[in-house]
Amino acid sequence: MKKNNALLLSTPYIVFMVIFTLIPLGVVAYYALTDPATGAFTLENVKNLGMYMPVLWQSILYSLVSAFICLLLGYPVAYFIAHQSATAQKILYMLVMLPMCMSFLLRTLAWVGLLQDTGIINDILETIGIGRLQLIRTPAAVVLGMVYNYLPYMILPLYSTIVKIDHRLIEAAEDLGCNSVQVFSKVVLPLSVPGILSGITMVFVPAVSTFYISQKLGGTDTVLIGDVIERQFKQGNNPNLGAALSLVLMLLVFVCTGIMNRFGADDEEGGVIA
Amino acid sequence: MSKELIRLRDLTMEFDGERILDGINLYFNDHEFLTLLGPSGCGKTTTLRIIGGFLTPTSGTVTFDGKVINDVPPYQRQINTVFQRYALFPHLDVYDNIAFGLKVAKLPKDEIDRRVHEMLEIVSLKGYENRRIDNLSGGQQQRVAIARALVNQPKVLLLDEPLAALDLRLRKDMQNELKRIQQATGITFIYVTHDQEEALSMSDTVVVMDKGRIQQIGRPEDIYNEPKNAFVADFIGESNILDGTMLSDYKVRFFGRNFDCVDKGFAPNEPVDVVIRPEDIDIVPPLEGHLVGTVTSVTFKGLNYDIIVDFRGFKWLIQTTDFHGVGTTIGIRLNPEDIHIMHKSEYSGMFGDYSSYSAEYDELTEDAGDEEE
Amino acid sequence: MKKANRILTVLMFIFLYIPMIVLVVASFNTGKDITNFEGFTLNRYVELFQDKHLLNLLRNSIIVSVLSTAIATTFGTVAAVGINGLSPKLRKTVMTLTNIPMTNPDIVTGVSLSLLFVFVGSRLLGQRDSLTFWTLLIAHITFNLPYVILNVMPKLKQMDSSLTDAAMDLGCTPLQAFFKVTLHEIMPGIVSGAIMAFTMSLDDFVISYFVSGLDFVTLPVEIYSYTKKPIQPKVYAMFTLLFGLIFVLMLTMNLLQIRSDRAKGARRAKVDSKTMRTVKRAVAGIAAACLLLGVGYLFVAPHAQEQITLNVYNWGQYIADGSDGSMEVIAEFERRYPNIKVNYSTYDSNEIMYSKLANGGITVDVIIPSDYMIARLIEEDMLLELDYDNIPNYQYIDESFRNTAYDPENKYSVPYTWGTVGILYNTKYVDEADVTGWELLWNVEYAGKILMFGNSRDAFGIAQYLLGYDVNTTDKAELQACAEKLAQQKPILQQYVMDEIFATMQNEEAWIAPYYAGDCLTMMEANENLAFYLPENQGFNLFIDAMCIPSCAKEKEAAETFINFLCDPEIAGANMDWISYSTPLSAAKEYMDPETVSDPISYPSDEILANGSSYAFLPEDISRYVESLFMEVRNG
Repeated sequence: MKKNNALLLSTPYIVFMVIFTLIPLGVVAYYALTDPATGAFTLENVKNLGMYMPVLWQSILYSLVSAFICLLLGYPVAYFIAHQSATAQKILYMLVMLPMCMSFLLRTLAWVGLLQDTGIINDILETIGIGRLQLIRTPAAVVLGMVYNYLPYMILPLYSTIVKIDHRLIEAAEDLGCNSVQVFSKVVLPLSVPGILSGITMVFVPAVSTFYISQKLGGTDTVLIGDVIERQFKQGNNPNLGAALSLVLMLLVFVCTGIMNRFGADDEEGGVIA
Repeated sequence: MSKELIRLRDLTMEFDGERILDGINLYFNDHEFLTLLGPSGCGKTTTLRIIGGFLTPTSGTVTFDGKVINDVPPYQRQINTVFQRYALFPHLDVYDNIAFGLKVAKLPKDEIDRRVHEMLEIVSLKGYENRRIDNLSGGQQQRVAIARALVNQPKVLLLDEPLAALDLRLRKDMQNELKRIQQATGITFIYVTHDQEEALSMSDTVVVMDKGRIQQIGRPEDIYNEPKNAFVADFIGESNILDGTMLSDYKVRFFGRNFDCVDKGFAPNEPVDVVIRPEDIDIVPPLEGHLVGTVTSVTFKGLNYDIIVDFRGFKWLIQTTDFHGVGTTIGIRLNPEDIHIMHKSEYSGMFGDYSSYSAEYDELTEDAGDEEE
Repeated sequence: MKKANRILTVLMFIFLYIPMIVLVVASFNTGKDITNFEGFTLNRYVELFQDKHLLNLLRNSIIVSVLSTAIATTFGTVAAVGINGLSPKLRKTVMTLTNIPMTNPDIVTGVSLSLLFVFVGSRLLGQRDSLTFWTLLIAHITFNLPYVILNVMPKLKQMDSSLTDAAMDLGCTPLQAFFKVTLHEIMPGIVSGAIMAFTMSLDDFVISYFVSGLDFVTLPVEIYSYTKKPIQPKVYAMFTLLFGLIFVLMLTMNLLQIRSDRAKGARRAKVDSKTMRTVKRAVAGIAAACLLLGVGYLFVAPHAQEQITLNVYNWGQYIADGSDGSMEVIAEFERRYPNIKVNYSTYDSNEIMYSKLANGGITVDVIIPSDYMIARLIEEDMLLELDYDNIPNYQYIDESFRNTAYDPENKYSVPYTWGTVGILYNTKYVDEADVTGWELLWNVEYAGKILMFGNSRDAFGIAQYLLGYDVNTTDKAELQACAEKLAQQKPILQQYVMDEIFATMQNEEAWIAPYYAGDCLTMMEANENLAFYLPENQGFNLFIDAMCIPSCAKEKEAAETFINFLCDPEIAGANMDWISYSTPLSAAKEYMDPETVSDPISYPSDEILANGSSYAFLPEDISRYVESLFMEVRNG
């Protein structure tokens, strides 16, 4: 392809992306540095961020725990799927993907129906004599919501990586005297690192910024950074503070993905797509 | 013999400041089978792509039938190409691949049909019309690629290492096949390869290239027998290349001895490169030899033995049908017609010494790698 | 190990699918509550197909996803071809740009785009409604593009570049070569990119939630507000249908793929390639039809504008919607004024409504805020003066609701309802002896079962009554004390709620909550264990909600027609019967259920009302101060 043609074809896209991804971030920064009432330049919003640090840490903690649980649950499942017949793989893959296509709002709402004090699980627990438990509005419920919603994001990249591992490598390792545990720890696991990293990123990013899951499954003390941002925009009428918080969230995510990339999670294409 | 079709004048090509072609001047005659021969990165494929219209030269001109065609896009040139890995369209079957160019040209349907079937016959693929490309063997794909190009009845067919992906046996068959097709159709073939044997056996004219420059142009026999410099001598077949001095016409001195030769026209006492082909050397008992040396290695090659002989620290490659064990002392005789004299060039001293025999041998054979554009 | 994996996989699938099964079962439930299966019915599906609003939302979602997918796919494919030809350095930069929307959390993308649109549209261009269908479409294209690019790029890289050379060699122009060769080669990438983009777009909630205005809303955004209210079971029916549809679609695609893979493994049988081709054509046909529909919409939509669209922005559960045999007020209005189409959206607190208006970017023609908010809106010049000539039914408004403190000259508002704020509690669990006043909401015995207002003004109001402060205090120390009081309450609260209260109180998930009397009556009707208590001695809020036209309105006259319609005593009567709030139109009472009219909760005696107080307008800085205090309480 001639260089000029390449520029001709890609320039509209570059312009579009600059206008609708870079400039908006600039506008966010502008809002973050201005006063909500007067519109004058101020550092007030940035100063106020300190108050929300506990919320931010809580969000990071919850999403890291969720990502870790997703990994623990997702890895054996991905491994299992990757070792089925081609037909079974396709069907199982589809079954993992299917929930992602359905409204996550309603699916999360279903968890409310399952977990609440008067919910289905507690009804069952009562019937079998265990008695009602506090399931909903706990940190565990929020983590469960995250794990439930984002588990497929972990399984899919893991599966893609594991299924690509050349079986001859495993045979070679066995040939060189590895038992099955060693084969796993010395060959399979290191080779699935890209999938693990991309899975963790894909779970962590939406989890750390969610607000719906914590609103529905959390209590008054499981406030997440996403909740705060949503509330600043939708109720607090303080888009400026919301903008400042968004910047913090964005920075956090970029630092995290940056660290992941440092570990070699992705190449130019980005490991984001399974 | 026939008229000139394409001429390249002072062609240079640079990529990112790197000079790939350096002043190429070359012409192609109608009905000719011309081969561009050279190692990876010598510029042969670049030259081909410029002729095909896929690249525009940095400077210099390409003329076709007397007209400058530098800026004519590939789809308007009466030239077709057989690509290195065939570049067959995987979404089309054999028939549609061959018919592609004709359909683009919007020929009538029955004519397309006729010509495609004619072509299938020429490349011996009758009955394969509806095969998918990925269900064909390498050789069959090769034929489809040739058919797809030839069906358009181009003036010139460009072939970019078309046989590189085939195994040895198939390659030999296809060489004959290509030569046959070329003779049958009378189309000019411009053939790119790094395989000297292929070049010598098929071509009317061979152009040896290296480092973006033409090293020698000539008929295969001339190229082989009268290499112009150490590079050509070494690249075309095996050569022992020695420093020598041309004392006068028909008299050359090397290895501290004077030899008779058949070359003339050098300045008196001009330093020259002396080429001696390994198969031209006669082995004689030590006492009868012009030179005496010790065998240091023997490799059985099927038809002959390659033996390395140490003459006072300089190692020669000699091909012989008789076995001479390692450590044997032998003598050799050189006939005047076996001694080729070349002017000194930038390649002098780089080739023709078999002291590090195996390494150099490898370098020659592993050349099969893909050529850099 | 293998066995353990198998068991874990099965468990994981159960985990993934149980909530979906719950939803599917709920769609066949005669009862409204997801947790109690009362009996089998298909009525929810009938209701679904009768619900124009819901189907309309689905249509909106499909239009946005189809159009954004089509545009992003075309645009993205072209761009990918271009990017592929760039120098490696430039290409890397462009790919970093492409990855921004992929890596950025949705909420940041949503926030940044909405700020951009509002900033450019409202501040720079001075447009009233900068958040429209078009901005929503742009937002969807923006987050769809990377999916296309990231799917197409690898295919382009994998493609043997000599294929395009070969095509040109055989006489194709570069454009022909693209269509005849490149396109075929990268088609799998384009298709998977398009499918990904389509599903992401169809299911996108977060970005759309921030970017959409009021006049064009997609299904997920509306479902979000549905999930706050007691959700209507027809939503489950819709979920079930979509679930079934997607399941069948994906299964068919997969099975066909498997079959063709097998066929390829041997020799590709002609029959199979034929069925494959038919299926491909069918899919392409469906896609083309959808696209046509979408594009058609673009051309038809402007013509439909001959009909006036009236944007009404009201509280949730605040207009009779035809359920339980009531009048469907909006449908009735549209029937009487066929040239006006009502676009109805809801909010669940004055503050949310205010934020939406103040953030800009939208057009609203009618809002129904409460007294103090009306005063604030008047002060900030956000309301239009009404033309009472267009509202002849204003004559029916009772004298006591005219010349109010918030609108002393009757210039901006027409009262809709009035009412009190009291405590709703569940007699089954709450000891009557504890029901003494607002302190019930701080009673640790009921920890985890108490709900609290999710808006600052009502929450602070309760603290102020309890602490004996003036509800309109501007004393920051007093407000600080209120905040501390509220912070004290937080650990024993189940949740801060607004519309969510209906579901939680009715199904007895929570036992105690402060709320508006009218809604309390609605809930008491649904659950007979619920009772209402008005803390007369401590004081309580007496509010008036009135209809206004905000300054961003486009259809003032139609808005006035709508307001006038709601003041028609007969309509108002039917409406009040359903929403259970008190009416400021005595004339409406004769059209109402006599039991409601005589209900002391709806219409308390004048003595009792004398203890109530209204929220007045607070200065801007105090409003903000209260708001930030409340945010601190909730986030701290």
